[in-house]
Amino acid sequence: MPQAADMINLGFLSEAEQELILEVLRRDEELRQNEEHRVRKLKTELLEVKRKGAKRGSGRYSQRSCGRCLEPLSRLTIFNSQCKMCNHYVCRNCKTILPQGSWLCSVCAKETDIKKLTGDWFFDQRINRFSTMPGHDLVRVSLKKKPLTNKRETTGEILLRSTEIPPDPPVPRARQKNLPNNKKGPSSENSGSIASRESFESKEDVMSKPTRSDTESAENASIISVKTGTESGHVTPEQPRKGDRSALSSPAGSSVSSVTVPVKADIESIDSGNPDANITACVKPVNPSPDIDVERLFKKSIKRDPRPTEYVSTLDLRDEPDTSEGSMGNRSKSVPGLDIQLEDGEEDEDIDSLVSLHRRTMASSSSSLRGSKSTLGSLMSIYSEAGDFDSVEVSGDVIFSMSYDEHTQSLQVFIKECHGLACGDTSRQLSNPYVKCYLLPDKSRQSKRKTSIKRNTVNPVYKETLKYSISRSQLFTRSMLISVWHHGRLSRNAFLGEVEIPLDCRDLDTAYEDAVALMPKAASALPASAFAQYKGELVISLKYITPKNPATEKIKGKKGASEEGGELHVLVKEAKNLMAMKSGGTSDSFVKGYLFPTKAKTTKRKTPVVKKNLNPHYDHTFVYKDLALEQLNGMCLELTVWDREAMVSNEFLGGIRLSSGKGTVKMGKGEVEMDSVGEEVSLWEKMMKYPDSWAEGTLPLRSTMEKPKGK
Amino acid sequence: MLFIAVITMTDGDYDYLIKLLALGDSGVGKTTFLYRYTDNKFNPKFITTVGIDFREKRVVYTASSPNGTTAGKTFKVHLQLWDTAGQERFRSLTTAFFRDAMGFLLMFDLTSQQSFLNVRNWMSQLQANAYCENPDIVLVGNKADLADQREVQEKQAKELADKYGIPYFETSAATGAEVDKAVITLLDLVMKRMEQCVDKPPAEPANGNGATKLDDALPSEKKCAC
Repeated sequence: MPQAADMINLGFLSEAEQELILEVLRRDEELRQNEEHRVRKLKTELLEVKRKGAKRGSGRYSQRSCGRCLEPLSRLTIFNSQCKMCNHYVCRNCKTILPQGSWLCSVCAKETDIKKLTGDWFFDQRINRFSTMPGHDLVRVSLKKKPLTNKRETTGEILLRSTEIPPDPPVPRARQKNLPNNKKGPSSENSGSIASRESFESKEDVMSKPTRSDTESAENASIISVKTGTESGHVTPEQPRKGDRSALSSPAGSSVSSVTVPVKADIESIDSGNPDANITACVKPVNPSPDIDVERLFKKSIKRDPRPTEYVSTLDLRDEPDTSEGSMGNRSKSVPGLDIQLEDGEEDEDIDSLVSLHRRTMASSSSSLRGSKSTLGSLMSIYSEAGDFDSVEVSGDVIFSMSYDEHTQSLQVFIKECHGLACGDTSRQLSNPYVKCYLLPDKSRQSKRKTSIKRNTVNPVYKETLKYSISRSQLFTRSMLISVWHHGRLSRNAFLGEVEIPLDCRDLDTAYEDAVALMPKAASALPASAFAQYKGELVISLKYITPKNPATEKIKGKKGASEEGGELHVLVKEAKNLMAMKSGGTSDSFVKGYLFPTKAKTTKRKTPVVKKNLNPHYDHTFVYKDLALEQLNGMCLELTVWDREAMVSNEFLGGIRLSSGKGTVKMGKGEVEMDSVGEEVSLWEKMMKYPDSWAEGTLPLRSTMEKPKGK
Repeated sequence: MLFIAVITMTDGDYDYLIKLLALGDSGVGKTTFLYRYTDNKFNPKFITTVGIDFREKRVVYTASSPNGTTAGKTFKVHLQLWDTAGQERFRSLTTAFFRDAMGFLLMFDLTSQQSFLNVRNWMSQLQANAYCENPDIVLVGNKADLADQREVQEKQAKELADKYGIPYFETSAATGAEVDKAVITLLDLVMKRMEQCVDKPPAEPANGNGATKLDDALPSEKKCAC
């Protein structure tokens, strides 16, 4: 337990007082994390809605078409069909009637709603007032990535973080019993027992602290027990609750954690044995009768999904070759048979090839991948439906434990052993298994950890600890993917099974051992759409500049000038909420643009790298010259965001594809389907429709540039 | 219209997280007030709050509909009720928490003239440290049950509340009188404020505010600055 002493603000308090306050802050953190989780889900929903609708913005749409679904509007409906928030004219289907009888377009309505539900209305207002937050400097070092969290940051969070960050000095805690301010009864009686408290687990001390408000500790206990119990969180909500504490803390998921269960039992007994607890134990609803209704209300919509959709695993670089990595040689291997853009021998060649790898893995047959066996193996093992790969019948289990080490601020995954694995090499009936972990949703190399390879056994014993340096609060939204692979020396690596452990409901304070049966790859390892995983957003502005002479053509839009000399300006303004790829929760990102059909690499443009920022401002303009307006109809602008990584390959952070959404364009030897959707189409069309004016949009980043359908 | 339930606090199954904060002199009964509200119990013992604390409660909030008659939509609200130490020595800590609250229960003790006089100070503390300059506040005179020891007259307090343009309630954590009402009124104000904040299209304020009936308490000051 971290030393609270001599940290900001709390320094004037006695140790016992600090402990009490820390306890409160921790409870607050629990609540906050719950909230954060909820907010993330909501924002994903919003994204989904936004993506379906055209972009709100300057409101420069033809009045004849719905600003959302782009369906034509009849003349009659135009009257009284302007959304009062975004000023778009929308059709009947895209209106959402508000309780007051007024209406907004579907996107504005959802945005408004989300603003309320997430509490952003409050944070937005507050930020105006505290733009220079006190204490901000103190904690900046540890500030988490998103301004989202910054904006939402609370005093409790700051305080808690500032007290928990320093690693414990090894000196034993002094018991400052005789401080002057201890003259108040409660704290002095108490300081001893609190000081001796080692951890959250010794509940007796928590319970016996007289200064705590009476039910607090009970709440606390129940919070903890629920927390440990929610491994099977989907089940627990179904339990009768009725404000009955004991029902509450009897953990449905107790089987998960053999260690913590007895602790919980203790809580119960203490609870009832404690003099304070007779107040707490019988917490009764105030109005018994409506209460039942209320509970039903609360419960009916419980769809407890410990992993929101945004964490659905997706096609990514998850399985780069498993053998030999970290060297430059790796690149060529992960890009087998790539002949498309190898000509640009720049430092980011791999980027291009990775993009095309994305494409190819899905779209093309395995023939183009023949180049590299190990890659083929890995890919095939994910997408075992793809053909000639004799998939292994998954069996056995993995024994592991996970805990969070406050000292080193790291998550420690202890892989103990596996039992009864399948044979990766079926012909010779043997396995050379190793265990690989990803801290999802990050499936990049940074997130990969592997154990050693054990030869010729189906019951390998590893006893290896895999570490992730990450702040504890970030773990909440993550999950641990533990997969077991057969290392085929000369043949492919074979997938032997995996388990995914969501971390939001796992007790990481104690490293209890789990034996979990290995599962085959989830049938749909691919997201429903490229947008299912929230990768952040990109803010861009597009403008087509017509050649000087034909000024009159403007009005006609699409049918406009065909002269040479037109220019497309792409202003890459900023990105928001990018994924953190580097330790310390940041990314060094840049944006790359291609205009397809590409003439070699002449259309490639890049922004400078913005370092250590998940909300980078690029404010960089790509200019494509000599374009006729009508050409743009058959063109496709691809913008991808990358994390710059010296020496090794850059990491893909997301991308967008702007086009009219129909047809394909040639790209090198391959073809890109112009699969733009929603705002990607509408922004592109807006740009074409209104030459010489900026069309701005905030577009959600795709998590993959590949179409999810694939083959 | 408002039902109360004590439900597990850990799941994310709620629509709004609303953070309220109680402040006022030491001993006016903030902790017992909140305890009464969340647990419907009274603890007569005086235990000074160390710095800060909070309690939670889930309630169902029914938004008043435009015409005020039919029941509007219901929402599940998770209330986080921050309790602050009234003692001076915790001041720097407690005021730091003001900025995270969406609404405030400014409390004084009806049996203590001094605590009432200090309301003014608390008010300026709020104005300086809350998320905006005119946050939603409810003035609460507690210990109404101790009629014989009363030092602050209702009229006095009411006048002050009117001056600030905030609602006033005389509550008793001991009997539970008006406790719920005070909190719910504050919640209502916060929810209205929220609506105003997001409902910012410039025109037709009258139309947009059809739902608010408590607004007359604060006619002009309540304009949201966002």
